[in-house]
Amino acid sequence: MTNNGYRLIHTVEDLRYYLIQGMKIEHATIPPYLTALYSLKPGTNLEAFHIIRAVVVEEMLHLTLAANVFNAVGGDINGVLTDPEFIPEYPAHLPTGSVDFKVNIEKFSPNTVETFLNIERSKEVDKDAPLVLPRPELNPWLRILGLEETYTFYSIGLFYAEVIRGLQELHQEMGDDLFCGDPNKQITPEYYYDGAGEIVPVYDFQSAIRALRVIQEQGEGSRQQTIYDAERELCHYYRFQQLELGQYYSIDKNNPLNSDSPDHPTGKTFIVDWDAVYPVKTNAKLSDYPEGSELYDAAKEFQQQYYAFLGMIQASFNGSPQALIPAVGGMFKLKESAERLIRNPIPDMEGVNAAPIYRWNKEQK
Amino acid sequence: MDIDTPDLMEYFLNFSAAVTGFSRFDLLGTGQASLYFSTIEGIIGGEIFRELLQTFHELYVRANSENDASILTEGITDEILMSGKLGPIASNIIKLWYSATWYQLPDPWREKFGARQNDTSFVVSPYAYPEGLLWQAIGVNPPGAKAPGYASWQYPPSVRLTSPKN
Amino acid sequence: MIIKSVDCQTISNIVYDVVIVGSGVAGAIVAKQLSEQGKTVLILEAGTSEGLTLEGYQNNIETFYGALNKNSNSPYPLNPNALSPTDNTYGYFQEKGVLPLSGSYTRIVGGTTRHWEGKTIRMLPEDFKLRTNYGHGLDWPISYDDLMPYYRKAEYEIGVAGDTEEQKEAGAEFIDGYVLPMKKLPPSFLDGIVRKGIDQIEEVTIGKENPETIKLKLSTFPQGRNSIPHPDYQRPGYTDDQLIKDNFIPEGVASVHPVEYGERCQGNANCVPICPVQAKYDARRTLSTIAFPEKVHLLSQAVATQVDINPENGRVTAINYKQYKNISSSEYTVGTARGRLFVLAANAVENAKLMLASNLPSTSGMMGCNLMDHPYLLSWALLPTTKIAGTLRGPQVTSGLSTFRKGDFRKEQCAFAMSIHNDGWGWSGTGATDILQDAVDKKHKYGAELRNELITRISQQLLLDFMCELPANSSNRVTVDPQYKDQLGNYRPVIHYNVPDYCKKTMAYARKLSLQIFESLGAKDYSHYDKSDPAYFEYENEGYFFRGGNHFAGTHVMGTTKNNSVVDRNLRSWDHENLYLVGGGSMPSIGSSNTTLTLAALSFLASEQMLRDLKA
Repeated sequence: MTNNGYRLIHTVEDLRYYLIQGMKIEHATIPPYLTALYSLKPGTNLEAFHIIRAVVVEEMLHLTLAANVFNAVGGDINGVLTDPEFIPEYPAHLPTGSVDFKVNIEKFSPNTVETFLNIERSKEVDKDAPLVLPRPELNPWLRILGLEETYTFYSIGLFYAEVIRGLQELHQEMGDDLFCGDPNKQITPEYYYDGAGEIVPVYDFQSAIRALRVIQEQGEGSRQQTIYDAERELCHYYRFQQLELGQYYSIDKNNPLNSDSPDHPTGKTFIVDWDAVYPVKTNAKLSDYPEGSELYDAAKEFQQQYYAFLGMIQASFNGSPQALIPAVGGMFKLKESAERLIRNPIPDMEGVNAAPIYRWNKEQK
Repeated sequence: MDIDTPDLMEYFLNFSAAVTGFSRFDLLGTGQASLYFSTIEGIIGGEIFRELLQTFHELYVRANSENDASILTEGITDEILMSGKLGPIASNIIKLWYSATWYQLPDPWREKFGARQNDTSFVVSPYAYPEGLLWQAIGVNPPGAKAPGYASWQYPPSVRLTSPKN
Repeated sequence: MIIKSVDCQTISNIVYDVVIVGSGVAGAIVAKQLSEQGKTVLILEAGTSEGLTLEGYQNNIETFYGALNKNSNSPYPLNPNALSPTDNTYGYFQEKGVLPLSGSYTRIVGGTTRHWEGKTIRMLPEDFKLRTNYGHGLDWPISYDDLMPYYRKAEYEIGVAGDTEEQKEAGAEFIDGYVLPMKKLPPSFLDGIVRKGIDQIEEVTIGKENPETIKLKLSTFPQGRNSIPHPDYQRPGYTDDQLIKDNFIPEGVASVHPVEYGERCQGNANCVPICPVQAKYDARRTLSTIAFPEKVHLLSQAVATQVDINPENGRVTAINYKQYKNISSSEYTVGTARGRLFVLAANAVENAKLMLASNLPSTSGMMGCNLMDHPYLLSWALLPTTKIAGTLRGPQVTSGLSTFRKGDFRKEQCAFAMSIHNDGWGWSGTGATDILQDAVDKKHKYGAELRNELITRISQQLLLDFMCELPANSSNRVTVDPQYKDQLGNYRPVIHYNVPDYCKKTMAYARKLSLQIFESLGAKDYSHYDKSDPAYFEYENEGYFFRGGNHFAGTHVMGTTKNNSVVDRNLRSWDHENLYLVGGGSMPSIGSSNTTLTLAALSFLASEQMLRDLKA
């Protein structure tokens, strides 16, 4: 693990701050992934549908794991997910070292897949990369404590490496007092078993490390020039690359060394139908829709539904794990609302359809 | 005859909204409008489809200009639904939106106006099935799609009658 | 990881430890149990193996979406080389009885669990002694206590969700400390409405000679469907009564990616025929969680045609099959599967048919006899619109009455269980789209009025089904006749079936009970039993029809001697010592329980004896 002299996490408060940032990062990719997913015409591009969906489900798992750690160290999650700033304003730079691309809320397209590849590439942990790097543009929603605002983590992998290191050091200093959170606030497999990997309830140092490692490893890219992660699952980067190459990678789970090498998939080929996609407005805003129209109302309703959805997730992380079940139902409703929007043309915009809006703008009441 | 003009698509959406009881936003939200349009045209032919849509459009324009909704509602019943020629087609369009299924036109119609080659009962596309308005109308998911989520079934339904029934 | 698909060439060079006919729940359990003890296994599957991949499963869903008639086999392409009976739609069964057996099963990898509803109810202790206790049908050679450890294994394998306390009230017994792996599926809103009417009735009497008072109380049914894991669950241990603390998490099904399967029930309201999120157990889950999948070979599209016997000792030497290239051509090649043990797990009808086609009626002559099923009486009504019930939501059934499953009245009339259908009137023949057609075509409804009409006539639907016990009777049977063959030249089952007054009496009782329930709910009865229905019958001057339950059983019953049964208490053929006949066919009675859980338990029991045989 890289350690070039900085220690960023000195107190439990610092640790909680970083875990909140972690939840924001995990969530930030969900709106772009979901929008691309919903823009696919039903029954077409099943490969793309399953690949993107699987990644979204993993991001949800990571969000939940980060919340478990946050709660275990006594964080107060109330107001975290319902903070308007929890959702970035798109187009957005992801809070990583890469500033050569911005993430949009847009339809599925070769460009979008390119962005997804960039998102996942930027999560790679390069062994000799510095922990933090100055970067030219300010990203207001991931600030590194104790450093100037223009500094950022080089990668999400390194971000979690720092969280793990901070946790280790605080545990050495404080012992098990670090885990002062209410154990009833943990999300357990009872309420979360069907998504993307194991949910780890966090009650102590060991389980906290395990939870963070799951996030770190599932998100990580091809640091050892392999296409698979620690669970012998295909890395996100290579999952998306399959869409670019029109071919599946094959992984030999018994002997991973026999798996395909990066950039050279040998699995089944398929054709991506880039035209079987609704032409949704990129980074739509409420003002794109005529006020008083059904479209406007539906878009506004979606915003409210999404906000309510985050509220339900927050409640489930705050001692009501059973709220996760209606929250999942809420997510199904969001999908239908989003699809209705995406299929409706915007009046007076030739060949452009509506899109869901996730972020609650401050100027809105 | 080429009936695939934007105008007729507009008439089709307005007509469909009037007979289904769903808004244009809802109809477009199914993503099936152009598939249904071309399916109907492909089965009954452009001429008779145009006649139906023109008949509706004239009522629609008159109702709007005279600001009298009853022109439309009465006209739909008298000139379309009760018409031996247009009625069964209009009924089929309602059922198409509601169940994604084209039902074979009734025998009397086929005898009088000519049996059409493609006029058999079929689901127009597998992915149209989940978009049937029937399920929305009764506030449920189409069986096998668009699930509402675990345990949702224990709560009261979202649907209610829009006006008191006798 | 998935079991290995092989071709005829491969298997022609292998003598397997076990050759299994059928990849349904019984065959899959046997394959899993034996392969995990190091045995080599071949499964012959008459149907296709699509559905073992996510892509194949997706195709099944798409086929269902596109089907005009969404019947119980509609997700699966019609396969003329291995037809599936589908409520008389495709004429596979040759019905020769007074009444039709009807019903359906699915000949495809995973078998009929590919379309089952998923109720997983234990039989009651008294059901095992039907003849002794009530003078009807047959007794089992084993008791409920003997089967109990295997019920627990079956509940673990299937992943049963249910309320153990409610099952105890219904008369099932459990060892101390045991709960079902997952919590019960919550009762529907509709159940809540019906509960109010039933609570008003409180109790009723049944039986004429010794009238009994029975309290009416709704309870949920255990189901093979993913709900919320029970934190107190303990899985079966290594000895019979041992329990081990287990954080039960349902395992997955299809093989492409782990997130794509085995989700929690999402209320797709489509348990039969296909759950799009695979929340419902089907036998592919057992096949795809085999620890050593390379030990299990699967030859699909291979219809077993003949069981070869060594005439000197009665031992099975081989099973012959016809393998077809694809479902659109009747071209086939013949092959032979060799093994040390043979297991028929093709369901009650197909097992008996194959034995009879091989001219092996057994010493007792009971092969194919004692065909059982649960006949269902349906009763349907519309609830008053004062409260919108919102029918057509949730798993097809969540609650019902289990209070008539036991009692001394079983001397006079059969036991039954009642289900409240969350899926409306569909089973009666009037589905939601039929109401739509009627409202548009006949009543000329459109616009807002149409929407109201549909709510009034669909959202208020209430259908009650009454699943009646049918005791074994040797005249109800499966036979073969060279006149009736399919396009591969294989026999189609000839069915001789009737329903005795013992059941009809209960159906008439159930009908009256349903009217009483409707009345207390202010619901209007719409039941109509058309005389033209093939399953129409009259009892004491009233007309009814019944519907088949697809719970086929009894065709190769187990018993105490080779003269009173086909198989022994371990499901081993009396006549052929290396042949097992597993599945519902071995059950001497079926009680008022859907058969899958019990036949799954029996498959675990039989597997143990098979392992002992293979060691010898």
